[in-house]
Formats: sequence, C-alpha cells, structure tokens
Amino acid sequence: MNPARTHIRLPVLLLLLLAGSVFAEGVTLPAFHHFELDNGTALLLSQQPEVPLVSVTAILRGGAVADPPEHSGLANLLASLLEKGAGDRDAAQFAEAVGASGGSLSSRADLETITISATFLARDAGLMVELLSDMLLRPGLDEAELEKLRDRSINFIRAAKDTNLNALLPIYGQAFLFGEHPYGSPVSGSETTLAGISHEDVLDFYEQQLGGDRLTIAVSGDFDVALMSARLSDAFGDWRPAAGPLPDIAAAGRQAGRRVLLIDKPGATQTYFWLGNIGVARDYENRAALDIANTVFGGRFTSMLNTELRVNSGLTYGARSQLSRASQPGSVAITSFTATESTIEAIDLALIVLGRLHEFGVDEETLESARNYILGRFPTALETAAQLGNQLAGLEAFGLDVSFINDYGAALMSTDTAAVAAVIDAVFASSDDLVFVLLGDAGLIREQVSKYGPLIEMPITEPHFRPQPATDE
Amino acid sequence: MGGPGTTITIMSLFSELRRRNVFKVLAVYLIAGWLIIKLLHHLHPVIGLPHWIEKLVGLMLIVGLPLALYFAYIYEITPVGLKKAVDVDQTQSIVYKTGQKLNAALAVMIVLLLAAMVVGRLFPEPPALIDDSPVMQAPTMQGVPPAIRSVTLENGLEIIVWPDHDIPNVALYYFVRVGGRNEYPGITGLSHFFEHMMFSGTEDLEPGEFDRIMEAAGGHNNAYTTNDITVYQDWFPRSALETVFEIESERLENLEFSPEAIESERGVVTSERRTTVDNNNINKLVEQVRATAYVAHPYQFPIIGWPSDIAAWTQEDFENFYRTYYAPNNITMVVVGDVTPEEIFELAEDYLEDIPAQEPPADVRTVEPEQQGERRVVIETDAQTPLLHVAFHAGAAADPETLAMRLLLSILVYGDSARLHRLFVEEEQLAIAIGAFPFEGFDPGLVYFYATLPPGGDLGLLEQRLFEELARIAEEGVSEAELEKARNIALAEFWGTMATINGKAASLGEAAVFHGSYEKLFDFAQDIEAVSGETLKAVAGRVFRRDNATIGMLYAPAVEAEVEE
Repeated sequence: MNPARTHIRLPVLLLLLLAGSVFAEGVTLPAFHHFELDNGTALLLSQQPEVPLVSVTAILRGGAVADPPEHSGLANLLASLLEKGAGDRDAAQFAEAVGASGGSLSSRADLETITISATFLARDAGLMVELLSDMLLRPGLDEAELEKLRDRSINFIRAAKDTNLNALLPIYGQAFLFGEHPYGSPVSGSETTLAGISHEDVLDFYEQQLGGDRLTIAVSGDFDVALMSARLSDAFGDWRPAAGPLPDIAAAGRQAGRRVLLIDKPGATQTYFWLGNIGVARDYENRAALDIANTVFGGRFTSMLNTELRVNSGLTYGARSQLSRASQPGSVAITSFTATESTIEAIDLALIVLGRLHEFGVDEETLESARNYILGRFPTALETAAQLGNQLAGLEAFGLDVSFINDYGAALMSTDTAAVAAVIDAVFASSDDLVFVLLGDAGLIREQVSKYGPLIEMPITEPHFRPQPATDE
Repeated sequence: MGGPGTTITIMSLFSELRRRNVFKVLAVYLIAGWLIIKLLHHLHPVIGLPHWIEKLVGLMLIVGLPLALYFAYIYEITPVGLKKAVDVDQTQSIVYKTGQKLNAALAVMIVLLLAAMVVGRLFPEPPALIDDSPVMQAPTMQGVPPAIRSVTLENGLEIIVWPDHDIPNVALYYFVRVGGRNEYPGITGLSHFFEHMMFSGTEDLEPGEFDRIMEAAGGHNNAYTTNDITVYQDWFPRSALETVFEIESERLENLEFSPEAIESERGVVTSERRTTVDNNNINKLVEQVRATAYVAHPYQFPIIGWPSDIAAWTQEDFENFYRTYYAPNNITMVVVGDVTPEEIFELAEDYLEDIPAQEPPADVRTVEPEQQGERRVVIETDAQTPLLHVAFHAGAAADPETLAMRLLLSILVYGDSARLHRLFVEEEQLAIAIGAFPFEGFDPGLVYFYATLPPGGDLGLLEQRLFEELARIAEEGVSEAELEKARNIALAEFWGTMATINGKAASLGEAAVFHGSYEKLFDFAQDIEAVSGETLKAVAGRVFRRDNATIGMLYAPAVEAEVEE
C-alpha cells in the first residue's frame, strides 16, 4: 500500500431521510453516501437492492471540448480505447472478462465529460471495480487497437450516412450553428479529423485530461457499502491528477439573422430539417419554466409542433424541439423531416408555430398539463439503480447539488404563465434569427429553400460536418 | 477543593475534572475505541465477521464511555489500590503520576492512530455510517412472486397485476393478438396502421383528445406492432389510474374512423415508412430478405405494409379489423406499479367488462413449406457501406429450442467478446459491425444475422467466413465457458428487465401471450440452466444450413464488379 494515498480528507455524509420518497410535487433523491478521496476523486454510494445487480457511473470532467479542433473525436476515441485492454488484460481478455460474467460496460465522451457506465451481477462487484480502475489507471492504449477503432469510427459515420440521417442531423446543426466554438466540434469526430488522430495524440490527451482530480464515481444497486468504499478508495485514492488544465469555455452569442446550410443527398425521398439558435446553460435559473415551455412547444406528443406537423397535417412522423444544455449555453432547435415535395410546407408551418409560441405564450390549462406531464414522468427517470447512479454522478461532476432534483418539483409548481412567457422570449429565438440546416435531395429543393436566407451547400459525402474552405483538405 | 456539600463553580469543576485525569481518560478512550472499531471493520471482510459484531462492539463502547468517565471521576488509583476520590487524602494523591501514565498511553494511542492512518487501510466512512446502512437483500429467483394476481373477465379479457410500490407510477400494457401474420395482399400493414388509428377519435373523444387527456393527467403512451401482436403502453402516475381506464375503455369500445383522420394518418405512416425503410439501407434490406425467406406464410409482409396498400386502405377495412381483433377475448392486459390487484379488478369490471366478446379470429392456416435451397436477394442503391444479411428459418417463440438459440446468439454476437464480433470485426476486419436477433412469434420465425462492411468491403468473403463459423458451431459445439457466459448474460438481462415497471409489464405480457402463462417467466433461471451444450450444437446443426438460408446483399452499383469477380 502506498502510505500517501488513502487518507480521507472530507468525509461528508449526506443523509436524506426519506429513501426514495416521491411527493406529488416531485422526487426526492434517496439517501446516499458521499465522500471525497485525498486526490479529489468523489465517491457516491447508494444501496438500492431491488434486483441483484450493481451499477457504476464514472464521470471525468473535460471531455470533447478538450479536443484540439483539428482532432475532434479524440476524447471519444480515447474513451473507446480504454475498453480495449487494461491492467493485465489485452483487448480480447478484457472483453471476455466483461462478457463472461454477464456484465455490460461502455465508455464514451460527451461534450464536457468522459463517462464509463457498467452494470454487473451483484456477485461481480469486485470485478467491476477492478475493470474500471484498470481502464482509468492502467489502460493499455495499444496503437494497433487505436488504429482499428479509428478506422471503424470513420466507417460508422459513413454507415450512418446510409442509414441514420436523423442521428447525423443535429451534428450538422451544432457544427453550423456554433462554427469554431468548441460546441460546434462533433463529439465523435468527422471523417477528416479522426483520420488525423495519432497514437501520440491519444497518449497526450490521457496524461493531460484524465486524472483523479477530475473523477466522480457513483455506485448504486445491490452491494455492501463498507466493502465497496474500501475497494474504491484502494483502487482510486492513488490516481494522479490530470496534468493539463480543464478547458475554459466561453459562452457563444445568439446568432442574428438567418443562414442556411443545405446538405445534398441525391435520391433522398425526404428532407430533414433542423432550425436552431443558441439557448441556455445547464444551470439556467428558470429551468422549470423553460422545461414547461419546451414541453408545450415540442417536447411531447401533443406539443404544438407535433400537433401541427403530424397530427393535424400528416406531414411527418414526428416534429419536436430539443434543448442541449452544458456548462455554457447550448442549442435550442426545432427538428423534423418530411417528404421532399412538402419541404417548404412543413418548414413554413414550423416557423408559424414558433411565431405562435411567441405571440400567445402558454395558457393556464396548457401550463398545468405540461407541469403534470413533467411531474408524472419524473419518478421514472430515477427508477433504477443505474439511473440513480448516473444522476448522482452527473450532479457531482457538474457542481450541482441535490436541490437540482429535490427542489425541481416545487419550482414547477410555482411557475406561472408569466414566467413561461418570459422564458420563451429569452430562450427561443424568433423565426428571423435562425440557423437552417436541411438535408435532402438538393437538386429538388435548392431553389425553394433559398428563400430562407443566404445558402451554402455541401454534399453528404464531404468528410466533415461543416462547410470547409476549399483549401482545407 | 470540592467535595460533597461544597458549592462547585464551573471553573472549579473543570480544574477538578482535569486534576482527576477525566479528560485524558476521555481522549484515551475515544482513540482506543476508534481503533478497535477500525480493526474490527478491517477484519470483517477478511475473516468473515458478521456485521452485528461491529454493531455490538460499537454499542458497548458507547455505553462504556459515560461509565469510564464516571469511574475516572469518582475513583482514584492510589498506591494501595482503587479508592473513591473523595476518600483520598489529597496530600497523598498520585493523580499526577496516573496522569503521566495516561499521557504515555495517550501518546501510544496517537502513534497507533497515525500508524493506522499511514500503514493500514483507513476506511472512508465514520463508523456511524456503516452502522446506519440497513442490511438490504436483493430478491432471488424463487418461483412466482405471490403478489402477482390475474383474472379473466366474463368477456374473456385476461388481466394480470403485479403491485410494485417503488415509484408512484403505473405501467399498463395490453397485448392484442393481431399483427402482420393476420394480413394478406391488399391489407399488408393494416395492423400497424390500425395501431395509429387507435389514437384518433371515438364517440366521446375528439381526434387527439386521448393523448391530450393522458398527458394532462401526467401520463404518456406509445404502441408498437410486430408480426404477431400489437401492444399498447400507457405510463402514468397513480393519480391518473381511473382516467386511463376511462379513456382506454372508450377507444376499445367506441373507436371511430373519420375519413379526415384516416387521410391525415396515411400521411404520417407514409412518412414513417420513408424514414424507417426508404431512407434506411439496413431496414430496406431486412424488408427484402424477409419477403424472400417466406414464400407462403404472411411473415413475408413488412409490418409497416407495402406502399400501395398504405395508399389504398378503406374505412371498411378498419371496421372489420376492429370488430374481429380488438375484442376483449383477444387481449391480455398487464398492470404493474403502485396499485393493488383488487382496485385494478374493480376498475376493469367497471370499465371493460361490458365490452362484448366476439367470435375468435380465424386461425392463420398457412404453414411455410420447408425451404428447398439457398435464396438470394440483392439491392443496388446509393451506399458507402455494403450490407450482408443472412436469415435462417428457425423455431416459434414457444418451441423448446428457441431458448437454446437465444443463448447461442449471445455467444455469437453479444458484446465485444462474442465469437463473430471478435473474428470478423476485431481480427479479420471484414465488417465494422455484426449482430443477430431472433424473429420469433406464434409461428416458426427467422434467425437473422446482419453485418455492415467497410466501404469497398468484400461481401463474398464475409459470407463465406460467416457460413464457416456457423458450421463450426454445428460440428464442434460451444465450450462450457461460453455456455456459462451466455447464461450469465441472460440472467443479467432478466434482472435488468425486472428493475423497472416497464420491463416487468413487457415480460409478463410476453410470457402470457407467447408461452401460455405469465408464470412461465419465472422458470427462466432453471430453463437456462437446463439448456445443455449438446442442445446448442444440435440446434446450430438444424438451423445453420445453406439450404435453409436467405442471403441479402446491399451495395452501390459501382461495388458490384468487386463482388462478382
């Protein structure tokens, strides 16, 4: 044992008395143990033995925003590489250790985090901690494995262009909206940026951006608290801090006016559209009012957007509004798809609905319906141990406290129509200030969609998500 | 100084406590007690001490503390033994010497404490935290939970209830025994389209009102259609229970089909088809492979329907369909969540029992004739990544072999350690992804393999290697370790579904519908234990034959030359 290691600096016990209690006004997080190791690693343990499974969520702050712009996808590639051999196990042995026990484990980057999630049968809790600590402290980071992963990641983007355009659309949207801002870089990279990532880049990112001071681990499910806390402090108490600083992200400013990106996929029989602007950050003070506004506008089946574009007109299978929230303001966007020939009809209708949202706001009855809707679903978001662990880890990693959950119900209850109206004005850009990203058969819609604003076009086969200067490649 | 009968000031009490070494005793006691608890805690996982020992010792130490202080105050150690402090002649008192001994003890304790911190493992939580942890036990798989109850109403509607009060929510699912297998040319996709129509208006509900009422009450819903069944899913807070029964009974009894609603929904389903099939190469190929694998049985039809049928349904089709299939005697309802069986049965009697039963729907008579040889289907379309799909005829959901096939598929494709992933994705890099799933229902279904190749990938070589590896299973079987792994995966998946009210509702319903009773769900652990390696090998031999296979390929026209060279 390394003597400098296991001192516990700050044992804090958050004991919330009513385990899992749910009130009409919302949800209260159940009791959990919270303490911090000397190296800054935060541990959160919540015993939830409903079924004989144990889950872990490990979150490292940093994530894709730490990617150099020309190497977007680096954090995500590293996250995947952590699974490809660690400790004494090579990639195949590591996969076998997970699979043989019936466990599941995944590792990925998000905008501002790298997250490892795993669930194992309760009897394999020890193995789970061993694999997690091997991945983080003793990853193989093998060059041949990196090359395979990198090639496959590039090909996954190409495959998505054949099969899953709905998944790609927001990536194009973010890239066009945010431009050079770090939130515009695709988390999973582009064909171009992935191809440029070297083994050295990955090793360097590991040293600079991963470390005990960035780590939060939440374990939930069926396990022995004392034994688990001993295992975790043993396994992670020693981990060195990350060598580099956390990326410092500035807030992107709201876009004025309109601009249009048209991505050409010849032969596509429908047009996918994403109409967005800059929204708010995760800690936005009027979160409850915003969630109500978004639920009403495009967050549920009976939302204004889905009602007009699907239920009343049959133009699409689905229309919605989406908020992405991070440490700095993310995007707020309308997204849907429609037959090529009804492209203009559907987009115009979406803009009319946006205008209506601004003009009429939300009436009392609709507000109550939306509030009930959010409150009614709320408990199911924290139903399983894995969901709870994920939530606890997220709160800790993002510097939020339990009031983010526990006070949310009360905040919804006290939100009135005036508050919702204020949030609509503040957060949802008007239809005059929108970034349009359209994906479809350009030859058939180019002329018509140019009415929305200055138009830039790129073929879907371009190996990046943002139009590039001609000299870029 | 103070004795009985003397007025004691706070200050004098303090100095007397100090003189009699009470503070030092307190310090020694606390540190020693702490070390004892740490030691016990440290030993507990190592030598298997039960938790209650720690608790008992902790309790004794807490009770002992005031006693120790009391004795320290009342008694003094004197050269002739223990005496009451008040009886000791203060000029003869050796409390100072005792104090020095205590100082020494304290020093030793502090050294031990530091040593524990430095050398030993210092446990993260204070003892109270460990003691507070209730000893909670996860369930084990032991038969059918007695809390589950079921009843069949007079009109034939079967209702299964599983109370689960973890969250104040309810999952209400109902399984209608109708799907693609009940269709024929002209009405393909009708089951799925009908599923959409269940959200249109009724006698008392305007179009869209079902959803508006549901969401305003805090609920939400969805539905899906398969080859065999159509499933409706409502999720809602307990407070919406009666509302949900009210609107569900309304649409099960009084659904209306206005021409406007049909036309609007036709547009929605066409859009659904465009997005999930026409602009999705994988599903485009699945549709063609299934249509090729079956020449007689209606499993050949796409669930969403052929475009010409979607365009042509009439109001009359819906009315016939509703009467025939949406009869209570053709439905199983499952309610899981914050409810009691009694209240559900009562609501069901109030709201659902009056819906009249109907003649049972006609059986699906067609049996797919045995395949006579390999079949192939090719799609040439715009694609960067070629696709290879291979489908084999296999068993129905209730066939005993089907569970063995599921275990076999998890050995082949589940996770990064699965055989085919390791070989084709990691080692030979012939594919960027490979997966498989069983299409299993009332009638014999398919085992379906699907692989995505890198641009320019060799479809012919991957096909050859896939058949080689499947033949290897048929010849050599699987290892005991692989079988054990498949069982563990199945077990973990089972418990994963048991963690949510949704998972429980879906599993109970599927067991009831496809296996004849919900109780079958709880045979799962013993069923997977009973599957032997020999069975897996035998199943592989029967199913993984070239003359039982339909092979589908999708590639861009330009790639064709490479494929056929």
